[in-house]
Amino acid sequence: MSASTTPMEDAIRAKVTAALQPTRLEIFNDSHLHSHHKAMEGVTSKETHFRVFITSDAFKSKTLLARQRMVNHLLQDEMAREGGIHALQLKTRTPEEEERQLQNDAAKQ
Amino acid sequence: MAIVKEIVEEAAFRLDVCSQPTSTLAVLYFHAPWAPPCKQVSVVLSTLASTYPAGSNIAFFSLNAEELPEVSEEFDVTAVPFIVLQKGGVTLETVSGSDATKIRAAVEKYAGAGNGDAKTSLPPAQTVTKPAHPVHDTAGSDATTTNGTKNLAGYAPSAQDSKVTTESEDKQTKEELFKRLRELVKAAPVMLFMKGTPSSPQCGFSRQTVSMLREKGVRYGFFNILADDDVRQGLKEFADWPTFPQLWVGGELVGGLDIVKEEFENDPDFLNDYSVNAPKPQAA
Repeated sequence: MSASTTPMEDAIRAKVTAALQPTRLEIFNDSHLHSHHKAMEGVTSKETHFRVFITSDAFKSKTLLARQRMVNHLLQDEMAREGGIHALQLKTRTPEEEERQLQNDAAKQ
Repeated sequence: MAIVKEIVEEAAFRLDVCSQPTSTLAVLYFHAPWAPPCKQVSVVLSTLASTYPAGSNIAFFSLNAEELPEVSEEFDVTAVPFIVLQKGGVTLETVSGSDATKIRAAVEKYAGAGNGDAKTSLPPAQTVTKPAHPVHDTAGSDATTTNGTKNLAGYAPSAQDSKVTTESEDKQTKEELFKRLRELVKAAPVMLFMKGTPSSPQCGFSRQTVSMLREKGVRYGFFNILADDDVRQGLKEFADWPTFPQLWVGGELVGGLDIVKEEFENDPDFLNDYSVNAPKPQAA
């Protein structure tokens, strides 16, 4: 089996799945949008900026802050590491919230 | 936007401060460069100053207490940081120590809350200088003050001032840093810790946050974490939040761009209390 070219994404997927059993998990790698930025000078990793959408029951009755902290803690090592995750955009919803959002969007059509 | 003006000599003091009209509230901040709490109060004051429009009847002055001994004596300054509020040469109130909330409360008592006018103009580029030496360097002798003030009378550079950090000094440094951060996050009711400044953001997420706040006309203070690595690293641990920008309201972390965006989406009145659009609360 060949080594994965997306170790960071794999780590995110594995950890979030194991800890939160999400009903939806989408991971977008936005690193290419930031690779020319000054802050990224000298960084060779292609996995620095991620957008992650997570829908999970584990977020029920938790504030946005608490939810994002949960995810931050899961990925603590990856974020602290040199050349690791530099930025993480998160959308954290419960299944009910996601349903409501979809209905709102449909109503706007 | 008001700034803190540095007074370097007696003559300048007579000229600048004493010539202020009697309606102007003069905020005189006495400091000493070797006293760690002063660095923090400097930031608190320039943040506070930035929330008042330039040319309003409030003026901020910064005075090095040791270089202006006569002025210091006039105001009976025996410990720094020390702030004097006066109008027309009459002292109204003094604040000793580095409690940001206390300082802000005193200033607002006489000058009203800062206007900000964030809609049409942004807070000025803030000059935060990275401390030349780590905090513990100067804390060698007199580190046990209870309210963060340093007794000028007791100061004399001596051979016993420690130049070497020991483990206990490192721990004290962290405690001091956290103490400083605890005050810093309260420097304004809404505080944005960002990369760069509102007029020159150095990161897309910081820029978007500034835009959002400006759109809603929110008055806020800001801190450029790129200019101070101690705060940058310390705040990550203090806040248990690994990234910037960070928005703090009432001394509590709200979150980063994602959360701020969602809060605005979920609640149209989010931060309305701090907006230039909101009806001004009656002064107590």
